[in-house]
Amino acid sequence: MWASVVVLALVLGACRQGGDSQDPEGESTSLTIAAASSLRHVMPALVAAYEARHPGVRVALTYGASGDLRRQVEGGAPIDAVVFASAGPVDSLVRAGLVAPGSRKVVATNQLVLVGPPGGPRLTFRTLGTLGPRELLAVGDPGAVPAGQYARDSLKELGLWESLRGRMVLGGDVAAVLAYARRGEVAAAIVYRTEVRGLSDVVLLDEARGEWAPRPEVVAGAAREGRAADFVAFLGAPGALALWQEHGFGPP
Amino acid sequence: MSDARLFPITLSLQVASLAMALVAPAGLALAWVQARRRYPLRSVVDGLVLLPLVLPPSVVGFLLVVVFGRRGPVGAWLEAVLDVRLIFTPAAAVLASSVVALPMLVKTAQPAFEAVPPELEAVSRSLGLPPWSVFWRVTLPSAWRSVLAGLVLAFARAVGEFGATLMFAGNIPGRTNTMPLEIFSAYQAGEDARALVYVVVLSSLSLGVALLAARMTGAVEAR
Repeated sequence: MWASVVVLALVLGACRQGGDSQDPEGESTSLTIAAASSLRHVMPALVAAYEARHPGVRVALTYGASGDLRRQVEGGAPIDAVVFASAGPVDSLVRAGLVAPGSRKVVATNQLVLVGPPGGPRLTFRTLGTLGPRELLAVGDPGAVPAGQYARDSLKELGLWESLRGRMVLGGDVAAVLAYARRGEVAAAIVYRTEVRGLSDVVLLDEARGEWAPRPEVVAGAAREGRAADFVAFLGAPGALALWQEHGFGPP
Repeated sequence: MSDARLFPITLSLQVASLAMALVAPAGLALAWVQARRRYPLRSVVDGLVLLPLVLPPSVVGFLLVVVFGRRGPVGAWLEAVLDVRLIFTPAAAVLASSVVALPMLVKTAQPAFEAVPPELEAVSRSLGLPPWSVFWRVTLPSAWRSVLAGLVLAFARAVGEFGATLMFAGNIPGRTNTMPLEIFSAYQAGEDARALVYVVVLSSLSLGVALLAARMTGAVEAR
């Protein structure tokens, strides 16, 4: 009996965590940030830097495909700020009144690259049409994964999107797309430049450059003014730029 | 409905039908062996058959990739010797569906076969019926209702397979995007209307098959 009461109390306590904490001056503020999967290496460093400047503030991170996280916020997930890999999902949250319009900010930029397993075909973006009949290209699911949207835009610009139909395996987030290449199940994968830093099991085949190449942006927004908006402002401030660049991102 | 919209529906029907073509004979044979034969590893086989039913689909999918992936022992062998590649093909979807559907049939048909009095089969044999005919004309008709129920459950499970299919067959539009994958993809994209189309088709299909089976067993009962 008492055990179940304790368990219930713990569960309820856990549910309360990460809720809103409108206490800008308070000492024990906690923030829950939803971040795109492509930011899973840089966000911990940015959060550590922010927490170091603001003792007492605890930041919890949750990752996923930006479109997926957008659905969770729309569904009422207690998120204080979002950091997505494209403007679209942030802007739709602004329109839905779930992100404060004044807080929306481009905080960094990225670049699309083509990677493949070592020893695979030496493809480039322009020669993806020469993919063997049984070879596959991994891209993000364009509906939910910004890296997939950028990939679709690029391939449409290059006139390859339709001809590659039936040979593109869609990943649920950019990490899944990269994993397809790392496991050698696909001939090539379209991911961000920041995904492949320091990896030895994939090779960089090509970088998206030229007038056809999209310019991926990292866009952040806070649910409300106060501490969450302050965190978003920090992400775009000059002080954070060194950390972004250290992880391969470009300036906004 | 455009070809691209129609594709997941036809693909799902093809995948589930092919899976049932594998599962029905294999499942009935396995159910009969487990019901009628006593052999040393019988309980191990019992457990293995049950495994896909109790394991999460992600574990089934993971194991399929590990074994049948291009770097897996069976997958590498298939590609080197037979030039066959399973992973990320419609055949992978069939295999994933079959693996999860098999226990539904075996676990429903096995008790039904066990319930058929062995004396009935013994008498048929003593009257000169060959063993194969005993199964077709005595055992199977006696267990008919449960076998049909098992086939319906297996079909519903096969047509609704999601997790293992996503991992092993991948989501390749125009090639492996079955209805459950398309529902997930459309939902993630926020295209709820597109998801709803497949939700309705999939639900109607499973419900329709279940009702059909209920009618058929009812008709058998009324005789």
